[in-house]
Amino acid sequence: MDYSWDFRPVFERFDMLALGMLNTVKIAAVSIVLGVLVGLVLAMMRLSTRKWLNIPALIFIEFYRNTPPIVHFFWFFYALPVMLAISLDPYFAAVLALSTQSGAFYAEVFRGGIVSIERGQWEGGRALGMTHSALMRRVVVPQAISRMVPPFIERSFELLKTTALASTLAYADLLYQAMLVNAETFRPLEVYTTIALMYLVLLVTASQLARLAEARLTAYQ
Amino acid sequence: MNYVPDFSIVTDNWIVLLRGLWVTIQIWIPSIVIGLAGGFLLAQARLARSGWIRGSGLVYVELFRDTPVLIQLIWFYYAFPIIIGVQLSPYAAALLGLTLNTSAYASEIFRGGIKSIHRGQMEGALAIGMTRAQAMRRVILPQVIKRMLPAFTNRTIEVAKMSSLASVISVHELMYQGRLLSSTYYRPFEILTAVAFIYFVLIYPGTFLAGRLEKHLARSN
Repeated sequence: MDYSWDFRPVFERFDMLALGMLNTVKIAAVSIVLGVLVGLVLAMMRLSTRKWLNIPALIFIEFYRNTPPIVHFFWFFYALPVMLAISLDPYFAAVLALSTQSGAFYAEVFRGGIVSIERGQWEGGRALGMTHSALMRRVVVPQAISRMVPPFIERSFELLKTTALASTLAYADLLYQAMLVNAETFRPLEVYTTIALMYLVLLVTASQLARLAEARLTAYQ
Repeated sequence: MNYVPDFSIVTDNWIVLLRGLWVTIQIWIPSIVIGLAGGFLLAQARLARSGWIRGSGLVYVELFRDTPVLIQLIWFYYAFPIIIGVQLSPYAAALLGLTLNTSAYASEIFRGGIKSIHRGQMEGALAIGMTRAQAMRRVILPQVIKRMLPAFTNRTIEVAKMSSLASVISVHELMYQGRLLSSTYYRPFEILTAVAFIYFVLIYPGTFLAGRLEKHLARSN
């Protein structure tokens, strides 16, 4: 192999990559927050005994869990605007795709946590004369939360990786910025190796932080 | 909203989507089969006595799990050929990336399964004169394969979803054909919805099976 590596042209444009990294973090953070909201609504619908709430939520969740994320990105960016006769910029389309799909997964995390609480706890609470909401608030949810934390973190980690797909809609995330740098420098090996390492640093940092948070949040179990 | 969907564009071009689906299957099946075999070997490395081998195994697994799979595909298509000095076809790059990625995840499933068997079993097998390979084949694996089945089924589903990313490096699989059709006829709503539906039909049986296997195992334990 007689290829001589040269990272200089890439490092000279490091500000472009740093901007991309910032945008990646931004879109991930916004989508996690919105995804949690979507997930809470879906989980409550799934826990409801009313069929007209339960079944639509089930269909929504199963649809998202069984189709590839890239399809959602393209659907929100190209198909939805045509249907509604509006235009969406790449950022909004990507946030919509990310938050609805992570919402579908979060819903299962939340629901799983609630239903994992043993029946005896419900019965005990009721025997003490607690109302349904008091029982939920004081007995079930506090215990369920610590069980939800590990799968929640795992899902958020997946979301962080999935943000790279936003580049296919020309949102200026880390991958998209790397493509720009590549177009200027013609150094794909250096550019893509650099951003792979940047993603690695980002994700390893995120998972270490998550591990710390997890240790604190699940300390009561 | 007065958009009138016209799905005849999908039925007129079903052969194109079918051709895409066939390529999707050609990426999906080999990636999962070779990836599982590779994952088994990698799990042996992760459980090896030599610290060097264990360490390299760990680095490999973390590299693939802590970077977005889209970056891996792009790296294998644009960057890796520079190192080896041979241009890879999009299909070869996608297959390589997805296979290596699958092997990293599969190795964790094997490792977890093998470690879940009590040490005494391996010691007992060695004590009655079996070699390590024999003990693995006749004692350990038969017990863990059943336990690992739901995780492998989930991995198979994930690989089916990841195969759609190959469209980004222009492998002519289902998502690529969908994108091409939707930009040719400017009917993104009908075509992308149909593509999502085809993926659902392809992936849902696996999810259903994994759920059944998990319930079955929970009952038998």
